Amino acid sequence: MKSGNLIRKVFFVEILKGLAFTLKTMLFTKPVTRRYPKVKVPALPGFRGLHALAKNEEGKIKCVGCGLCGAYCPSKCIYIYTSEGEDHAKVVDRYEIDVLRCVFCGFCVEACPFGAITLSEHYEYSNYKREDFYMTKDKLLGNWDKYFAGPKGERYFKDFWQPKSENFTGGQDQAMFSKVKVKEKK
Amino acid sequence: MNDILKAIVGPELAGDVVNIIIILLKTAAVIAVGLLHVAFATYFERKVMAHMQVRLGPREVGPLGLFQPFADGIKLFFKEDIIPQNADKPLFYLAPVIFFASALTSLSVLPFFDGFVVGNINIGLLFLFAMSSLGAYGIVLSGWSSNSKYAFLGGLRSASQVISYEISMGLSLVGVMMMAGSFNLSDIVRAQNHYPLGIFAVPQFLGFFVFVVAAFAETNRLPFDLPEAESELVAGYFTEYSGFRFAMFFLGEYTGMLVMSSIAALCFLGGWALPAFVTANLPGFLAKALGLFCFLIKVYAFMFLYYWVRSTLPRYRYDQLMAIGWKLLIPLALGNIVITGLAKMWFKGLL
Repeated sequence: MKSGNLIRKVFFVEILKGLAFTLKTMLFTKPVTRRYPKVKVPALPGFRGLHALAKNEEGKIKCVGCGLCGAYCPSKCIYIYTSEGEDHAKVVDRYEIDVLRCVFCGFCVEACPFGAITLSEHYEYSNYKREDFYMTKDKLLGNWDKYFAGPKGERYFKDFWQPKSENFTGGQDQAMFSKVKVKEKK
Repeated sequence: MNDILKAIVGPELAGDVVNIIIILLKTAAVIAVGLLHVAFATYFERKVMAHMQVRLGPREVGPLGLFQPFADGIKLFFKEDIIPQNADKPLFYLAPVIFFASALTSLSVLPFFDGFVVGNINIGLLFLFAMSSLGAYGIVLSGWSSNSKYAFLGGLRSASQVISYEISMGLSLVGVMMMAGSFNLSDIVRAQNHYPLGIFAVPQFLGFFVFVVAAFAETNRLPFDLPEAESELVAGYFTEYSGFRFAMFFLGEYTGMLVMSSIAALCFLGGWALPAFVTANLPGFLAKALGLFCFLIKVYAFMFLYYWVRSTLPRYRYDQLMAIGWKLLIPLALGNIVITGLAKMWFKGLL
């Protein structure tokens, strides 16, 4: 055994190094813990949370009942029922999403030509009954009022889920991510 | 008070009764304060370990999480008490009691400050060794009576570990006994006070090292926690225990740590003793309070070492544990005794 090795073994150099490291960590490293229910982590730009049905300026539903979202949906959790209304217009009677089956891929939003279905930043919607996760048309429209009210929701909607009917100039890029602005770190 | 007692029990017994009452009050104080310290030792451990692992630790219950130990205690006492169907019931009931009682009994011979000790016996150190060996019976019996292979293996490991390390632990303190010339812990502290350097950890550095390692093994703490070895034995000897029986093991373990830290503080680090120029001008009460504070600082520094090592080192393998105990610590402790004896013979004036 070399003399250096012997010294290292006798004085437990490795163990002392380890002890120094843990002490340094304790004294100088800030804990990484997020105190979740008290301090919430803001969703990153483009986060795909709970669904909402968009309203136009008059406060009416934007959805025209074309059914593209339901056709695209990989987990087949969107159910749309339409009927003929006055002036042969199509009326959306029921628009329902089974949130528990949704995989939050966002294909429905991409597919929608009118930007009628959106995914909000809201992610805390635990509940006690399965029925509460079955989103009806009224609940989805309510979500729009709750999570897209004000300038924040508007900006979010414009930046990430821009409908193709409003902006055909996307070119090679996908329409939905046309004007991504990454939020500055706070 | 004395007159009333004399009237009740007669003049011959009055003095004894007063003594017994004083001892009972002291015992109650030591148990209550000791258990409070044990409770906050768990909080201290969780905080220290959390910050060493870049976490926060408990901080929800009460200010800064300070009531967490009480919340844990209340939870443990309201849990269901499960006993395995084929357990050896009398032993199963007895084991945690032995473990806990032996740990608490050790507190009785520890002098917390000058003149405060429940049982000022002249074989204090031997009593502590006896109690820590008795605690091992609790572990072995719990492992045997649980009728579970994990508990059984934990108990076996603990038996062999405690037997091996008790030897080196006893031998490591022989040097201290030789230097102090007494088994009584108060006398050992006073001997250190008269000693030029003030603490025995300097001349007895070998003994101190052996004692520290053996103390870790004796209390089944990492890196020698083979009896509980969470990753291999579920929880080791107390796998089958729940509710307040588990709480007894838990409290016993932490009391054992407190006792070991106190022995280290008393025998090697000078206990409550302060330099004469500090205490000379202070009133008696203040000097004693300062001494208690000094003692507690040392105890908690040693407890911190326990947690520090726990969050740093992985568990030793079983053969490594035995090799350290028999091949390293016992020869070191024996050598220390020989050196101390020779030094005591040659430099009579110094020691």
